[in-house]
Amino acid sequence: MNGWRLRHRSSRALLYGGALLLVLQAAFPFFWMVSTSFKPPREVFAQPPTFIPGDPTWDNFGRLFTTTNFLIYFRNSMAVCGLTVLLTMAVSAAGAYSLTRYRYPGRGKIAGLILCTYMFAPIMVVIPFFILVKKLGIENTHFALVLALTSFCLPFTLWLLRAFFQTIPIELEQAALVDGAGRLRAVIYVVLPLALPGIVATSIFTFILAWNDYIFTRILIASDELKTLPVGVQDLFHSALTDWGLIMSAGMMITIPALIFFVSVQRYLIRGWGAGAVKG
Amino acid sequence: MTQPPSQGQPWRQQLIGVLVVLPALGLILSLIVYPVAYSLWLSLLEKHSFFPQQRFIGLENYLYLWGDAEFWTSLWLGVIYSFWTILFQILLGVAAALILNESFVGRGLVRGIVLFPYMIPTIVAVILWKWLLNDTYGVVNYWLFALGIARDPISFLGTDHIMLSTIVMSVWQFFPFVLLSILARLQTIPEELYEAAKVDGATPLRRFVHVTLPQIRGILFVVVLLRSIWMFTKFDTVWLMGEGAGAGRYIRTLPVYAYMRTLTYYQAGLGAAIAVIMFAILMVSTALYFGLFREEADIG
Repeated sequence: MNGWRLRHRSSRALLYGGALLLVLQAAFPFFWMVSTSFKPPREVFAQPPTFIPGDPTWDNFGRLFTTTNFLIYFRNSMAVCGLTVLLTMAVSAAGAYSLTRYRYPGRGKIAGLILCTYMFAPIMVVIPFFILVKKLGIENTHFALVLALTSFCLPFTLWLLRAFFQTIPIELEQAALVDGAGRLRAVIYVVLPLALPGIVATSIFTFILAWNDYIFTRILIASDELKTLPVGVQDLFHSALTDWGLIMSAGMMITIPALIFFVSVQRYLIRGWGAGAVKG
Repeated sequence: MTQPPSQGQPWRQQLIGVLVVLPALGLILSLIVYPVAYSLWLSLLEKHSFFPQQRFIGLENYLYLWGDAEFWTSLWLGVIYSFWTILFQILLGVAAALILNESFVGRGLVRGIVLFPYMIPTIVAVILWKWLLNDTYGVVNYWLFALGIARDPISFLGTDHIMLSTIVMSVWQFFPFVLLSILARLQTIPEELYEAAKVDGATPLRRFVHVTLPQIRGILFVVVLLRSIWMFTKFDTVWLMGEGAGAGRYIRTLPVYAYMRTLTYYQAGLGAAIAVIMFAILMVSTALYFGLFREEADIG
């Protein structure tokens, strides 16, 4: 019995050790970013480095907001991502509803097509997309960017919402229909309330996908005042090459919205949607 | 799982169903399928990326790439990058999932924190790692020096180490995806299976091989497939890591090469040809993969 307890105790120690390592590798880079962003320039380059800023300052953030276009990029990101979420969700909620509730020839093929488009990586879509957008004369507009981001998010939201609608019992709608409600009323009063958590979670995933995008914005947007955050901050990184305090404060400001949204849907992620729930 | 009522939906119902799915289908066809088909046509043209002139040249772009040393180098670098990042993502992801499937104090918090790197924009991950690995002021070089491992600062982003640094950074960024997928599956394995194995006196290793592994085989099949597609076509991480330090040439994988042909040399036709070749490689590999692991494909 003693030997078992000893083995049990050492395996617990191993478990906690492993968990600690996992937390450290994920969290340390972020801790370092936050720490650097609060350091005055001289302390940023101090050797040996200080872990907690000895002389914390908001100066880096002040310069970020006043001397760079950061706020413009931030506003652009919000607008583009918001529109992408609206368009993607409206179209894919309807699509997923149709795929789970109606029977028509070719329905299975559409589901297969959606899965196939998972294979089309952004780099393969964006080059022809860029040329086509130039032909249509809508290059360098948020409109083209929203369309591109929608193309990137749509297969994924359709697939997620389809799985989600499949878990809502169809009998509930049928009962409402029998009671004399029209299809639209049944959807609004019966299906939507049940589907809401899934729709909210999927919207947030879409927002994060669009928020993090680099390649579509890099290729489709040329003017500085239309850029979104990832591209804007990359350019900032080039022009402020050694101003690490400023760069880290910018990094922190992009990360915060992504993390807030992530934390709010985290339990859906881990509760077992599994591989279908993430992309990239 | 609910199935719609059997075949006999009246045609009016069917028509409504088609109308409701049409916007989604239309967007997928016009924004994804059409551009990809168009790139097939584009790859047969000599076309400037910014000006409208174009000339049909048949398979000349492909012939050019066949004799292009840079193309073959990119293909090789892409294979190296994908192979090592996928291997370590899977190993680390499965190990981490096994740890986070055990119950311990603070498990929920740890699960959340571990997924952070996957959720942040790539540009943030890249500037974070460039700062950590900075050759003069980076904290990693400071530690290596303080612990007496390296006497001179190591140029992690220089030509000799850039591939290694990019692989490490990519594994850090993407293994949480593997972790998440495997963990979701682990949570559905019935506890009785483990109890039975314990009663039979199976060691933890044997329990893993005989109970856990057969259960996660299906999801592992899917995860390896998705990660392979995404790593082989990964653009932003590789491109952003390689920029600036002058060592980009040593991690110029196929997606980066396609981008450069299109937007640095303005040869849209050639860029499209590279994208088409990438797509062909993916199709063939996927078909082989399905053939090779037919059993797993059925479970997955």
